[in-house]
Amino acid sequence: MITCKVCSNQEYDGVLFCGECGSQLVHSTDGNVNTFIYPSQARGLEIDISNTIPKKLLENKTFILYYPEAEEVLNIPDQEEFTIGRFVDGQVITPDVDLNQYEGFDKGVSRLHATIRISPDKTKVHVIDLGSANGSSINGYNIPANSEVPLNHGDVLSLGKFNLKVILPKELK
Amino acid sequence: MPDQTDFYNRLNISTGASEGAIKKAYRLAVRKTHPDVNRNEGATQLFLNIQEAYTILSDPNKKGAYDAGREPHEAVPTVHTVFEYSQETLATVDEPQIIYSLIDVVSTQEEKETTDLPLNISFVLDNSTSMAGARLEILKAAIKEIIQKLGEDDLVSVISFNDRAKVLMPSQSQPSSALLDSSINDLFAEGGTEIFQGLEAAFEEIKKKPLYDFVNHIILITDGHTYGDEENCITLAKSAAELDIGISGLGIGIEWNDEFLDNLCALTGGQCRFIEELDQVKDFLDYSITSLKEAFSRRISLEIIPAPGVKMLSAFRILPEALPLPHQEEFSLGILKKDKPHRVLFEFMIDPIPEEIDQAVIASGEFVLKRNPRDFTIPFTLDRPIGKESDDGVPPPSEIFRAISHLTFYRLQEKAQQDVASGNPGTAFQRLINLSSHLMAKGEESLAKIAMNEADYIKSHNNFSPTGKKQLKYGTMRLLLPDKT
Repeated sequence: MITCKVCSNQEYDGVLFCGECGSQLVHSTDGNVNTFIYPSQARGLEIDISNTIPKKLLENKTFILYYPEAEEVLNIPDQEEFTIGRFVDGQVITPDVDLNQYEGFDKGVSRLHATIRISPDKTKVHVIDLGSANGSSINGYNIPANSEVPLNHGDVLSLGKFNLKVILPKELK
Repeated sequence: MPDQTDFYNRLNISTGASEGAIKKAYRLAVRKTHPDVNRNEGATQLFLNIQEAYTILSDPNKKGAYDAGREPHEAVPTVHTVFEYSQETLATVDEPQIIYSLIDVVSTQEEKETTDLPLNISFVLDNSTSMAGARLEILKAAIKEIIQKLGEDDLVSVISFNDRAKVLMPSQSQPSSALLDSSINDLFAEGGTEIFQGLEAAFEEIKKKPLYDFVNHIILITDGHTYGDEENCITLAKSAAELDIGISGLGIGIEWNDEFLDNLCALTGGQCRFIEELDQVKDFLDYSITSLKEAFSRRISLEIIPAPGVKMLSAFRILPEALPLPHQEEFSLGILKKDKPHRVLFEFMIDPIPEEIDQAVIASGEFVLKRNPRDFTIPFTLDRPIGKESDDGVPPPSEIFRAISHLTFYRLQEKAQQDVASGNPGTAFQRLINLSSHLMAKGEESLAKIAMNEADYIKSHNNFSPTGKKQLKYGTMRLLLPDKT
């Protein structure tokens, strides 16, 4: 059996596309396995970040989330997996990254909105929407809840209406 | 009727037909001509002729002698078949696996110069109340225009139907414009939609002339949902297919039953189109007639039998018109055009393969070309070597890859419809969002937007919008065509 990397659906050997979500399951001609890319459709967010972010911040980082509205880089923990959301008093499980300071509530961020997972070899980054109230989208396209969706350099990840730019420093020239 | 002195012609088979094929042809011929069932004059003689032919051809010794003394007949047309597979080899895995096969059949060569086959066309026009006004007027004008473009050997009849059918113009060639006007002009809209009535009348008109002399086709134009007579229509379509009569359908607006019409067309090898309004009706008619005029054979059918341990999961005709084919072993593929390929995509599931074999047969079958003065059979076998190594990483040939990738889109919208039907609009929503992004990634922007809008519509209405549902279905279906014309 083959497991779809996007929605975890199982298909028989020899199937080329996931029957549930339509993602490609085999090696394509360019030898890339994860060819599932949400097209860049979020207009107005195509900003050049290479000059606005101090070079120092990019050093030794696998993955950066940039918040264009405040022109700030989110402070994310240096671990393979972390959650993003909004801290509320009395909450049992708290998010690793708290978006309260950026008016996360007004922008529809849930308390535990999404998980970011970085592969052990630090080459791939995935986001998992944790069944948030307002959903998440990549480049304007809603993504399924509770399934791992790859993030690519330059993608715009929206948690509710909270837009973040995905930067993989190794992809920067 | 084909030349009856030749034993092969009597059984309607080619000289290359296998023992099994001869037997099968014999049984079929007997069923049609046995004096108990066929009381027509001459049937008994036909029956005896068939007996005589079978006695010789079924015995290898007598057949050999007959073949040796037989007059050489015209050469078998050069018909190419091309097979592509989604994988170079099958894997030895202890679970089922899937393989796709793309089959092309094309008639090539000097046969180009063969004369055009005459058409026997029947137009079946819906004149139920919903067609009232501009719709019917545009349709009438388009029908008159297209009939005047037909050749002098072509036959045409016009039927109208609502609750019952009326033969507006009986089958004839090149009707005068005065006759056309008097037959069609007075048609007005009233009553309901009973498609069977119309089809049956058209069927009778077409059957008036010997079927093997023509390319026979019924063109149905409707905007309504037929009630209660679907089964009759399907039975009629099946007999039409056996008699080499194709049915094509054009659905206007949102009311008509797309699944039903698709099925009707798929059974007979016709095409099914959806248009929102009648502005495109002329294009559809032009296209239909032009396609039929390109016929090299009045019908091509494909029989395919999966090997033991193999299951055919689906069949999809890609050329000349994209259409999912009904689940069966014999497919009517419509006419075979000159120099233009017919293409069908099959999906097979294969049971675990024992390690000791090197080559596995997936399916065997044959194409049957119906063409005067006689038919041709082209047998084939689908098989693959067994790979000891998994061939992950070897990309499938681009044509089959493209076809499967586009079929995935069609399947996604189909599944979204099932989701809605089984009360899971949430899943349907998500599926359409996925479909939309895949379409966008392929550069199909307008269809991606339709999918996105449908997703939003489902979110608020828990169901598809009537237009969007058909737009998505026929939109994704058309993507399967290589040049999307």
